[in-house]
Amino acid sequence: MTHYNQPRRRKAEFIKPTNTLKQKVGHGGLSDEILDKAQKLLEENTHDFEPLAMMYLATLMQGVEMAKGYSPSTDKEQIIANMLYPTMQLKANGGMFHYNLVTMIADKLIQFLEVIDQPDIEVLEIVLAFHTTIIAILQGKISGDGGKQGQDLLNALSDACMRYFDKHPDDKL
Amino acid sequence: MAYDFSDVSVLIVEDNLPMVELIKSLLTTFGIKKISSARDGEEGFVLYRKETFDLVITDWMMKPVDGISLTRRLRNDPLSPNQYVPVILMTGFSEKRRVMQARDVGVTEFLVKPFNARDLYRRIAQIIEKPRQFVRSEDFFGPDRRRKNDRGYSGRERRAEPVMINVRSKMGEA
Repeated sequence: MTHYNQPRRRKAEFIKPTNTLKQKVGHGGLSDEILDKAQKLLEENTHDFEPLAMMYLATLMQGVEMAKGYSPSTDKEQIIANMLYPTMQLKANGGMFHYNLVTMIADKLIQFLEVIDQPDIEVLEIVLAFHTTIIAILQGKISGDGGKQGQDLLNALSDACMRYFDKHPDDKL
Repeated sequence: MAYDFSDVSVLIVEDNLPMVELIKSLLTTFGIKKISSARDGEEGFVLYRKETFDLVITDWMMKPVDGISLTRRLRNDPLSPNQYVPVILMTGFSEKRRVMQARDVGVTEFLVKPFNARDLYRRIAQIIEKPRQFVRSEDFFGPDRRRKNDRGYSGRERRAEPVMINVRSKMGEA
């Protein structure tokens, strides 16, 4: 018996479940009129994002505080996750509640945290810069993408990340 | 003729209440009338066992039980009343490894936040119109993780037009 005609050890079973959703909804999709109406509802929601954002920022700050006590014996990935998860929430929710600039900035921080190797003091300084910037955006009620001012803020934070990677070429953005 | 969602039942699992309200308002506008919600994966699974749902829309990051653990239970727990239920996972993560992680526990569709009304609708329409077969193997149960790419090559078809060859002149040259 050669390698290729041995019986398969790991068989996979393929199942085609009944498409109950299709049976219930029928055909034809939804009209642009309905989708536009739904989009308008989304754009006109008046929920105040600031308290929610402040809660995530406080959690991010706790993550920074925990990272300050980082030593090689502590779980590095957990330390980074403590900062990554509240940042992800800021990214996810900012744009849903009209703070697109918060989403863009938090997204940049996620990209940074996803690739750093060590949560060292320079990393924490950069995270704090992001934290301070997002607080300023919320307090200034800078909704949308913030225009040129928003782009300048984003560029400045992006440059800080790039400077870090210039010093630590083993980490890549 | 349009979709009639009036008989469709949806479970939203999300710990952010304003977000729950937003999703509810979108689904209601789509015509969905039966919408329930739970604040985390544990509460979501309890509700899922009590009622019949056609679709589950869950957030990823929740405490104490997140959307990944909930999906794993929906697919593999013997107490799950319908292991084939479509699951849309919402998250702020968009990195490939996160998508793969979600796919590997049996998530049907991945919806990156922030999203708009059409993004949500597209995921639902995809589930309705292009349902994926399920795979049961030693270490996985869930929607087939291989995606068929229907679009194929989208560039110019260089050889689509009939090729006109002047056979006679070619032969004459020979």
